[in-house]
Amino acid sequence: MRRSAYLFLAVCYVVVPLAFGGNNYLMGLVVSSLIVAGVAVAWALLGNLGGMVSFGHAAFFGVGAYASALLSMKLGVPVLLAIPLAGLIAVLFSVAMLPALRLSGPYFALAILAYAQIFRILATEMEFLTHGSGGISQIPVLPTIAGFDLSSRTGQFLLLLTLLAAFLATYDLIRRSHYGIALRAMHDSEDATRVVGVNSVLLKSWMLFVSAFMTGVIGAVNAHVINFLEPDYAFSGGWSVLPIVAAIFGGYRTVTGPAIGAVVIYLVDQLVFKALVSTGHQIILGSVLALMILFAPDGLLPLLRNALRRMRGGSHA
Amino acid sequence: MLKVENLRAGYGAINVLWDVSLNFPLGELTAIIGPNGAGKSTLLKAVMGLVPTTQGSVSLDGYPLTDRATWDMASLGLALIPEGRMVFRDMTVEENLTMGAFPKPHRAALGRNLERVFGLFPKLRERRRQLAGSLSGGEAQMLAMGRGLMSEPRVLLIDEPSLGLAPVIVREIFDILRGLKQQGVTIVLVEQNTRMALGLADGVYLMRAGRVILAERAAAVDIDRLHDLYFAREGAAGDVADAVFK
Repeated sequence: MRRSAYLFLAVCYVVVPLAFGGNNYLMGLVVSSLIVAGVAVAWALLGNLGGMVSFGHAAFFGVGAYASALLSMKLGVPVLLAIPLAGLIAVLFSVAMLPALRLSGPYFALAILAYAQIFRILATEMEFLTHGSGGISQIPVLPTIAGFDLSSRTGQFLLLLTLLAAFLATYDLIRRSHYGIALRAMHDSEDATRVVGVNSVLLKSWMLFVSAFMTGVIGAVNAHVINFLEPDYAFSGGWSVLPIVAAIFGGYRTVTGPAIGAVVIYLVDQLVFKALVSTGHQIILGSVLALMILFAPDGLLPLLRNALRRMRGGSHA
Repeated sequence: MLKVENLRAGYGAINVLWDVSLNFPLGELTAIIGPNGAGKSTLLKAVMGLVPTTQGSVSLDGYPLTDRATWDMASLGLALIPEGRMVFRDMTVEENLTMGAFPKPHRAALGRNLERVFGLFPKLRERRRQLAGSLSGGEAQMLAMGRGLMSEPRVLLIDEPSLGLAPVIVREIFDILRGLKQQGVTIVLVEQNTRMALGLADGVYLMRAGRVILAERAAAVDIDRLHDLYFAREGAAGDVADAVFK
């Protein structure tokens, strides 16, 4: 399965720009879907490995976006350096979340929800830095590297696909390491895991840091893609909710499910549902998600895998 | 010696242990018996740092354990085989055992200890690829014990290993404990099966309602008197004070 995922990515690198590269509108949608996919993978890493359901990833997304915009505009940091730095700054801000790691289940979800709101308010009020609700415009575009223009739609696509591949590889690596086994054990019994020598709080903290870094990086790239930021956009609840929807749709217990789910629902919503019902097309998306949760709670990817297995003649794989 | 002194512990507003003091000499098997709610499990959890203590201390060979985190205990040579097994149900038998050797120094000896545990519990070798959640009660208990042994503990704390198991399995588990004792492992055994525990133990503590009410060498225990104290029968009350100061 892992090999087929990498193969699929490799095909995307070549086929997508060749097939859709000329269509700026379509490539724009693909780029947006990859942004959602990046956050969905980061969310699922914390949710599936760390066992913590977050309703506040908008905080890391917004912090990453603002950090990269301000670093590149006020301090003149090169964009490609500002992006990873923005990821680190998102990690720095996630440290304030650490006390919430002691909470479990709905309490953690509520705490992180409130946390995201604080940042939206801060970004609105700290006008000297963020220009408040007026927003920041003319954020520098992605640079040209060795004659290749990353700010073109195809360039943005290739950069985001590379980041997504790196995120997925990291996620897979953590999951298969002995830390990944320990994290899985923690779902069953955190006490028993601590008894055998796992510092469970530290391990969960690391998952929060990795997730915050990924989300901050994606937020930063998005800022340089759309070149404009305002608090209500950068810290919008949509950045918290859409990745959850995507991850659950795709199968949040799998590594690649959230990424595939994000691309599928975003593109289907924009290209199909929007054409059917121009205003309020989200209602179809909502219905589809409700049906998925009812009939295929494991998500799209496990559903397809099972279907594939059945088609092969029901032999046990 | 694992030493518990004046330990007071509980769950928030509810205090369970009332200033208990117990000694567990190295190389011996000490049994802690007593009725439900006596605080036996809480004592083991308090030693491991899973239950907060409000007073008193725990030390191993004079080295204080009271302020150490639970996840440090494995490296300090303590292992707890918890009440109700607490195996990782969604993981295979082998992954469960691997988790038992999580800290780095133990991970280095993983292969050797895996063989040792499979030697002690051949059933686990047969089921190594099976999910722990699908094991029978006896197999799950063996897995919990195997996981505890993966870190080569100096001190093994075992909470009610016989609970809900068929007599033939219980005997098998007690045979393993006897073997571990002969290898020099210090064992603290919490058990409701008084007779079997006494047959194996060097020292015995009887707990009731969060207090130690009897501390004796196993060989010197009068089983009738022990049962009187255990069930708090009439006429035994007067003996309690004597027993405590022995």
